[in-house]
Amino acid sequence: MTKSIYTPEMMSVLEIEELTPFEKLFTIESPNGELGHDPGQFMMVSILGVGEAPISISSSPSRSNGSFELCVRRVGDLTNAMHALESGAKIGLRGPYGEGFPIAKMRGKDLLFAPGGLGLAPLRSLINQVIDERASFGRVTILYGAKDPEALLYRDELEEWLERDDVECLITVDNGDETWDGNVGVITTLFPKININPRNTVAITCGPPIMYRFVLMELLGKGIPESQIYLSLERRMKCGVGKCGHCQIESLYCCQDGPVFNYAEIKGYEEAL
Amino acid sequence: MTKENTKVKVAFFDFASCEGCQLTIVDALQTHLSLLDVVEIVQFREAMTEKGEDYLIAFVEGSCNRKSDEERLFKIREQAALVVALGACAHTGGVNALKNIQPSLQETREYVYGDKADWYEVYPTRPISAVIDVDAFIPGCPIDRGEFVKVVKNVLLGKRPGIPDYPVCVECKLKENVCLLLEGKPCLGPISRAGCGAICPTYGDGCEGCRGIIPHPNENAMKDVLDEAGLTLNEIMARFTMYNAYQEDQIETAEKTI
Amino acid sequence: MKLQVLDKAEISPLVEALMEDYRVVAPHAKGSKFTFETVTDPADLRLDYDTTILPPKKVLQPTKDRLATFTMGEIPQIEDVLEVTPTVVFGTHTCDLKGIQLLDEVFSRDFDDTKYTAQRKETFLISIECLSPCDENAFCKDMGTMTANEGFDLHLTELDDVYVVDAGTEAGEELLAKYGSAREATEAEKQELNQKLGAKWPKFNYKLNFEAAKLPAMLEASFNHPIWDDMGERCLACGSCTTVCPTCYCFNVADEVDMLLTQGTRERYWDSCQLEEFAAVAGGENFREGRAARQRHRLMRKGKYIYEKFDELGCVGCGRCVRTCVAKISIVESFNTIYNGRK
Repeated sequence: MTKSIYTPEMMSVLEIEELTPFEKLFTIESPNGELGHDPGQFMMVSILGVGEAPISISSSPSRSNGSFELCVRRVGDLTNAMHALESGAKIGLRGPYGEGFPIAKMRGKDLLFAPGGLGLAPLRSLINQVIDERASFGRVTILYGAKDPEALLYRDELEEWLERDDVECLITVDNGDETWDGNVGVITTLFPKININPRNTVAITCGPPIMYRFVLMELLGKGIPESQIYLSLERRMKCGVGKCGHCQIESLYCCQDGPVFNYAEIKGYEEAL
Repeated sequence: MTKENTKVKVAFFDFASCEGCQLTIVDALQTHLSLLDVVEIVQFREAMTEKGEDYLIAFVEGSCNRKSDEERLFKIREQAALVVALGACAHTGGVNALKNIQPSLQETREYVYGDKADWYEVYPTRPISAVIDVDAFIPGCPIDRGEFVKVVKNVLLGKRPGIPDYPVCVECKLKENVCLLLEGKPCLGPISRAGCGAICPTYGDGCEGCRGIIPHPNENAMKDVLDEAGLTLNEIMARFTMYNAYQEDQIETAEKTI
Repeated sequence: MKLQVLDKAEISPLVEALMEDYRVVAPHAKGSKFTFETVTDPADLRLDYDTTILPPKKVLQPTKDRLATFTMGEIPQIEDVLEVTPTVVFGTHTCDLKGIQLLDEVFSRDFDDTKYTAQRKETFLISIECLSPCDENAFCKDMGTMTANEGFDLHLTELDDVYVVDAGTEAGEELLAKYGSAREATEAEKQELNQKLGAKWPKFNYKLNFEAAKLPAMLEASFNHPIWDDMGERCLACGSCTTVCPTCYCFNVADEVDMLLTQGTRERYWDSCQLEEFAAVAGGENFREGRAARQRHRLMRKGKYIYEKFDELGCVGCGRCVRTCVAKISIVESFNTIYNGRK
């Protein structure tokens, strides 16, 4: 009998790391050694009895090591239940689904990452792949904005990116505190601090809906062509495979045509941004 | 399989109400015996004499109709980790709140209690959420026993209660009921909260909105539709306010009429 | 296959014979309306029905459909539920036939929805030709669904004394041969058939002021049309229009658990883009918040989005959404308003 496309496979949670008071990083054992995902794709995650939701894959395929990672913010029933899990727990997974980032089109280019808040979760997958294949790409710039210092994700990796000579990483928080001596202000305040070669730059952004408009203004203002800007969008999803209708952005299905979209291709869709 | 000491302790309380919702729970305990495998009832005046004060979840039926009841609600709030409003009176103020929109509370009190009116303490009806923070509500007049069981399960799983925010029409249509409004009969189905399985329209009675109004209802369109069904403005307002008379901003005015 | 005929008196025996081996679903009276129900007595069958409250899609995509069963606890396990009931839908109108053809495409394209396709494979469609419009709300003539050349296993056309039976598939031929007692149509019957099919055409009116094929291009230019706000003002967001639509298939999925929280089922339910929560995510953002945007989404799906993904218009002209709307919102009037006001 053919297995239903909706029935998840049960997988083991190997490790749970608390990244912030609201986000945890789940390391999950890949069923056959490799998940075989592209950065930017997502999984449908189930806790039986609680429900199912889409979560972007946060780990790089280049660092799979027989497992993959999901960064989960506690915002609803499923994510609350996930935060209550302990390592060793079994959860249901389907995927990977969707169109990820087109890495082939990025090789040889300068890359500008502009994640806001939890938007770093899917971008980290690509950032780490790029770092692992560093020679294939031009300049790499990361502009990361978070609400406050406590909300910064992946602190160890942020440190590493900050220290690397071949990555320019600037971080800002909307609201500083006594522990913070870095930039304070929204993510757009970082753009004047960088110099890029717009013609050769591919920009990648992901963040809360309100952020896109402002970040896009900066990116376009820098002269980056529309066709070289990629966004990862969030929508409600119940199936992940283009059936349930929840994730539609006009005629596009975020789960199949996205979640990664090219700005030039999606800018005519008024429901997108 | 659930051990005695892992059962969640719950208590039931009543304020101004007909106690019909608690009666529905007594009924649910007959049809869903295993409820008692997961919860331990420590206080339930309508069903038992024992009284425990160590409850985690408090189910409160009834609206708050006098100042002196507030203290009891504060105590419940202090003890319970979770307060659940049980039924229309606790949830929206229910039919009790109709008195808030009478011209004079004093006259209403005299109408009800006659020459003993002054013996009875009264203030404008409030849903319990107007007095204390409420974590969840189970709507309806009376509540639906299946929904009560569902809410208990969801709460035990750490989920949101799972009360629908969509209107009765959804359930009515799925049942393929012949639409009452299209037959010229008044029904509040389009703006009233579902979850009842459209029980009244299924039996030919128009919805009266006992489960409250959905978020962001199109009240103007509803009035137009009822007008089309031949209702006078008074009749339309009567239907709108049957279970949903309570408005926070009317309390002050109502208080002055006592 | 040669054109065959069934005497009118042979319909009941055919249904009765089918009931031996199949669940037979057919139109029944419900108050002043009709609904598709499982036949328990062939005498209840109402082939003279106008339209049904819900379309027969409910046979293939039940309003509540169990996807899986599971056990919770330390080692949670989940199992598919794939129960198929061999079914004959008897008396489908051709608009609904078209609706099912579209659903077939939706549920098999890219990812095979086994829950749907397995039931579909065991479902046979016996349709019936409409010789007059069901009411003034139908616009099947505009949408090209007032008759059908395909999509059915058997197709009936009522003549004065007999039903002409046309087989659309081998399965249909076999059904007729095994369960029915048809005979070859006479020349006179063939002539009567042609006469009836010719006579029906003028009885149906075009309702759109333009060719339906123009819908995708027309709507492309209408995203910011003022009509959406007008519809949003009138719409009660009750979800009835999508619930009764033969081409709406959006669904929600939810888990149900037993009282001891040890096992449960995963169920899918019909959902509606007209309901406020449809496009809201857990974080609080609602990507289609207003009623106007939701009505626009519905009409865009029918006239444009579905066409762009599945190469077919998402509306079959059955008129159910118009009939069911207590606020009297009409997809036909809306499309015409946009067309008439175009630059």
